[in-house]
Amino acid sequence: MRLLGLMFAPGFFSNAPVHTALLVGGGAAVVSAVVGVFTVMRGQSFAGHALADVSSAGGAASYLLGLNPLVGFLGMAALAAGGMEWADVRDARERDLLTGVMLGAGLGLTALFLYFAAVTGSATGAAITVLFGSMFTIPASIVPVALAIAVAALAAIAAIYRPLLVSAVSEDLAQAQGTRVRLIGLVHGSALAFAVALSAMTVGAILSTALLIGPAAAGLRLADRPGRSLAIAVLTGLIATWGGILLAYDSYYWTPGRGWPVSFFIVVLVFLAYLLAGLLARVRLRGVRLAAAQPSGCGQH
Amino acid sequence: MRRRLTVLFILAVTAAVAGCGHSPRDSTLSAVGIESQYADVIAQVAGPRVRVRAIETDPNTDPHAFEASPAIAHSLATASLVVENGLGYDPWVDRILAASPGARTVIDVGRLLGLPATANPHVWYDPKTMPAVAEAVAAALSAARPSDAAYFQSRARAFVASLAPWQEAIERFKRRYGGTAVAVTEPVADDLLEAAGCTILSPYPLQIAIMNGTDPAPQDVAAQEALLSEHKVKVLLYNRQVTNPLTASFVDLARRNGIPVVGVYETMPVGYHYRSWMLAETSALEQAVSHGISTTQLGTGTLRP
Repeated sequence: MRLLGLMFAPGFFSNAPVHTALLVGGGAAVVSAVVGVFTVMRGQSFAGHALADVSSAGGAASYLLGLNPLVGFLGMAALAAGGMEWADVRDARERDLLTGVMLGAGLGLTALFLYFAAVTGSATGAAITVLFGSMFTIPASIVPVALAIAVAALAAIAAIYRPLLVSAVSEDLAQAQGTRVRLIGLVHGSALAFAVALSAMTVGAILSTALLIGPAAAGLRLADRPGRSLAIAVLTGLIATWGGILLAYDSYYWTPGRGWPVSFFIVVLVFLAYLLAGLLARVRLRGVRLAAAQPSGCGQH
Repeated sequence: MRRRLTVLFILAVTAAVAGCGHSPRDSTLSAVGIESQYADVIAQVAGPRVRVRAIETDPNTDPHAFEASPAIAHSLATASLVVENGLGYDPWVDRILAASPGARTVIDVGRLLGLPATANPHVWYDPKTMPAVAEAVAAALSAARPSDAAYFQSRARAFVASLAPWQEAIERFKRRYGGTAVAVTEPVADDLLEAAGCTILSPYPLQIAIMNGTDPAPQDVAAQEALLSEHKVKVLLYNRQVTNPLTASFVDLARRNGIPVVGVYETMPVGYHYRSWMLAETSALEQAVSHGISTTQLGTGTLRP
C-alpha cells in the first residue's frame, strides 16, 4: 500500500487532465502498436515517420484556422498516405527519396502555418504542442472523437488481417493467392494515417514515430507468431504511455512545482522497452541453442 | 539556424543603415517605443516636436512571438531614443541595436525599475511603472535637445498627473473589494491585481507555462479547474492575446459556473491611450467583481487621453 502511494503521487486518479491523457494516450498507444507491427513488417517505418511529419502541417493549420487539431492531423496524414499509395513507387531507393522529399515539404508547410498562426493570431505554444505534444492540455471533448478514430483503425486492420499479414511477409505470395495488394496497401495506409494522427495528438508529430515503431519492434523481436507480437507491442505501448503519464505526474514533486514533459518519459520508456526486448531475445536465443544442444548430448549416453 | 539567419539579417541591416548616410535627425528627433504602450507614453511626453513610432502594435497576436523585419530594424537604428520593455520580453531589440552602434539612449524598463531578470515582464500593468518611464523619457529627450528641456519636463509632469483617476480607481477598488480572490490564465495583469489588493489563487507555474507555451503540470491544471468549479474565485482574468485550447477550457469552465470572465489585453488596444486603456481594464475588473459582468473585449470608443 505504501509502495503504491510512493508510485502514484496523490491525486493521480482523480485528476481530470490525467484521465483525458490516459484515455487518448491509451487509444493512441494501442492503435500505433497494432498498425506499427504491420508497418515495420512491410518495411515502411520511414514512411510512417514521414507521414507524422507531414501531419504536423495539418496540426499547425488547425491552429491557424481555429479547428480541432485532431482533424488537422488526420486530414494531412490521410492526404499524405493517399499520395504515397497513389504514387506506388516499388523501387526501395526511389521510395526512400520520395518519402524524404515529402517529409521536408510537409515540415516546410508546418513552419509556414506556425509562422502565420503566431503573427496573425494568438496561438501561443502551438509549435511545441504540434511537434512535441502537450498531453495534459488535451480538451476532454476530444476523447470520444479520438476513441472513435482508434476503433475505426483497429476495425480496418481486423477486416484485412489475413491478407495484410500475407502481403507483409511476401507481396508476391499474396498476389499469387489472388489478394488485391493495392487495396490492402490503401487500407493499411489509412489505418497508418489514423494511428499517426492519434499519436501526433498525444506525443507530438515528431515523436509519434517512437510510439508507432518502438513497441512494434519490441513485439517483433520477442515473438515469432504475429498474434503474440501484436499482444507484446500493445502491452509495451500501453506501459510506455501510461507509465510516461504517471512519471510526468510524479515529476511535479521531484522538481517542486514543475512537471517534466510527458512526451519525454513516453519516448524514453519506449526506448528502454526496445533495449529490453533485444536483451530478452538474446537470452531466449541462447536458451534455444542450449535446448537444441542438450538432447543430442543426452542421446550419447 | 535561427541564429545564423539573425546574423545575416543584422549584417544586411547594418549595410543598409551605413549606406543611408545621415538621417534627418538633426531637425526632428525620432523615438521608438517597442510596445505601443511605451510609444504612447513617449508621444505624450514628447509632444508634436518628436517623431514617435511603435513597433509591436497588434492587439490580436502574442507579443512574445514577435519577429522583427528589416524595416523595423532601420527605424530602430535611426532613432535617438528607444524604450524597450526588457525582462526577456523583447530580446530581439538588443540584438539589432548592438549591430548598429550610434548615439542613442535606450531605456530598458525592467532595468529602470530595478527588477530581477526573472520578474513578471508585463510591468506596464503596475501603476508605478509609467510615471518612472515618463520621467526617464523626459530626461533622455532633454539631453538630446536641451533647448526643449523645460517643455519635456512639464509634459512629463502633466502625464503623471493625468494618471491620477486611474490610481484613484485602483484605491477605490482596494477599499471596497480588497482581498478578492481571483484566477488568471497568465501573469499579464498580475501587477494591477496586486496593486488592487486582489489575491491571485492560480498557481504561478501554470501562468508561466501558459505564457511560454510549455506543458503545464496536470496538478496545476486540476488546481485551476477546482478554483472555478468550486467557486473559490470571484472572477477569471484571461489574456486575450495568449490563448490555446487550455485557456479556452478555463474560460468555458468559468462561464458554466457563473463566474464572470475578463479578457485583458497585453498590447494597447486600438482606440485607446495608455491611461484610458488602464482605466477601462480596471473598470472591467470592478464590473466583474461588483456586478458579475463579463468583459471579453474593450469597446473601441472615441480616442481619449
